[in-house]
Amino acid sequence: MKLFVRCAAFCLPLVMVAVLAGCSKKKEVAEPAPPPPPTTASETPAPAPPPTNTEPSEQPNKTVQDQLADVFFDYDSAELSSSAQSTLDADGKVLNDNAGTSVTIEGHCDERGTVEYNLALGDRRAAAAKDYLVRFGIAANRVSTVSYGEERPFATGADESAYAQNRRAHFVVR
Amino acid sequence: MAAARWGFTLGSSSSTARRGALPAGLALFALLVLGTRAEAPAQDEVRIDLSTDVQKRIGLVLEAFTSAGSGSARTTAVQADPILANDLAGSGLFTVSKAWETSSLPADAQAVVGGKITISGQTIVLTGEIKDFPARRLIARTDYRGSMGDLRRLVHRFADDIALHLTGEAGVAQTRIAYVVKGARSSELHVVDVDGFGARQLTAFKSPLVSPAWSASFGDLFFASLRGAAWNIYAVPSAGGTARQVSRGGTLNIAPAAGPDGALAYVSNKDGNSEIYVANADGSGARRLTVNRSIDTSPSWSPSGQRIAFTSDRGGSAQVYVMDRDGGNQRRLISGYSYSDSPQWSPKGDKLCFVVRTGGKFDVYVANADGSNARALQTEGSNENPHWSPDGRLIVFSSNRAGGKNLYITDLRGTIVRRIDVPGAAANPAWSPRPAGPALSGANATTTNPGGSKR
Repeated sequence: MKLFVRCAAFCLPLVMVAVLAGCSKKKEVAEPAPPPPPTTASETPAPAPPPTNTEPSEQPNKTVQDQLADVFFDYDSAELSSSAQSTLDADGKVLNDNAGTSVTIEGHCDERGTVEYNLALGDRRAAAAKDYLVRFGIAANRVSTVSYGEERPFATGADESAYAQNRRAHFVVR
Repeated sequence: MAAARWGFTLGSSSSTARRGALPAGLALFALLVLGTRAEAPAQDEVRIDLSTDVQKRIGLVLEAFTSAGSGSARTTAVQADPILANDLAGSGLFTVSKAWETSSLPADAQAVVGGKITISGQTIVLTGEIKDFPARRLIARTDYRGSMGDLRRLVHRFADDIALHLTGEAGVAQTRIAYVVKGARSSELHVVDVDGFGARQLTAFKSPLVSPAWSASFGDLFFASLRGAAWNIYAVPSAGGTARQVSRGGTLNIAPAAGPDGALAYVSNKDGNSEIYVANADGSGARRLTVNRSIDTSPSWSPSGQRIAFTSDRGGSAQVYVMDRDGGNQRRLISGYSYSDSPQWSPKGDKLCFVVRTGGKFDVYVANADGSNARALQTEGSNENPHWSPDGRLIVFSSNRAGGKNLYITDLRGTIVRRIDVPGAAANPAWSPRPAGPALSGANATTTNPGGSKR
């Protein structure tokens, strides 16, 4: 963890550039079989994302809203894990198939940051998801972002499973 | 009833005064007979200087108010006693002995305060008296006039003048705390007198709302709210009124901080990600101070307006930084902690308070303004958004230590001097500056100097 922190000091711009360029540094090692999301600056291992919203969503009887799966993040991170990228690939396909649909991506955080920091972190998470979709080919003007920080938690508990549910980019069809 | 609302922790009597009580008292006496109606009296050389010793409190004997005039004066005097006792005990400056509750007065007391309530028609006159102790020579007698609904305000003014006479700096009994009441779907801005009375709601936005910040003039409260598709900064008169939008552009405009000269520092993502800007109070003329891909947030002005402390994760984790007001000389200020955030510069510029995250919760810390001598001040439960009183002696913060969210006030040795009980989940406190106006005597107060040695 210390290593990460030290490295992040000067790697962060590189990571951001890598994200913008279409491949996070994790992707290189994780392409064939996505491992569980890597932990970064977290004291506790990140659990598997909650079971809801993670199914590939192709069923024609589902609304676009239902088909768009949320993206989950590690603690204090806006980095897209390989599973997050897989989710966004599926979301991008849904948006490609529904060209008339515009979405807002909400960035959410667990409560273990300060209010203002979490609003900035949620903003960064939503922006990371949007950037990925734009690179996927979705027109930028179809995707807006807004941060909710820790203001609208999905789960109210004070344990890691609740925290994990709250660290997400949530799709809302406009 | 009022006394039962708060768990006061009076200062311990272990205040081993390094300066003799009597000489200090005499010095004050000498000061006061010169007359102190000036707004910025040149009294540095004679005041009891508490700034170098946060442990020390002044022993104060509080005598019950007497009454004169109509029959309601007695009732009013009885109401005034606990208000004054609360103000003085909550100031963090005094160890208060209530003469009506104790038969043995403390030998180390340095002053005795009390006075008289007179009611004629619809007018209340609170005659406040400050005397030295044990000689009981008059230091000051002031008449505070108001109408029947003004009792609390008159007592608060007297309390602040007591602090002024005995320490050289007015107290903070007339100040207010702005805070956010958090709901599941929305939050609203509230304000309450610092003694916990008079809570009222200032917004009805029905949306997420954070970051209250007072204008330097006391007249406005800035805050950020998510209305529609974007967070924006708004300003509302602190006495109530219509909110106006201040920020423009971007989807994240938060963390307003009003500088001493009226400039507004805040965070915006209008140029990409969260960066710190400084603009005029109406939002015009915004100028960007930080330029990087990291999170930059939570600006706090130095009292001179020349520097800004803020939070950035540019080094890999959230940490407290400082920069000049033009964005120059950005450097890390607090080190040694895995996560430090929410810096607030003390009103005198000598200290910072901030939060440190330890084990998934936050502690309130205080350090010198250069980042040295950091120490934990509040560690029970999780504690957020510390904010200085305008005299720099107290810090208000929110905590979940009793379950839910509540507001507490601590002194600089970590003693909780007050818990502010307001309805709802109270968070994000911001302490007001002192209301405008002369500290010692306004238009409806007159101070009588003791006779004798006028200059």
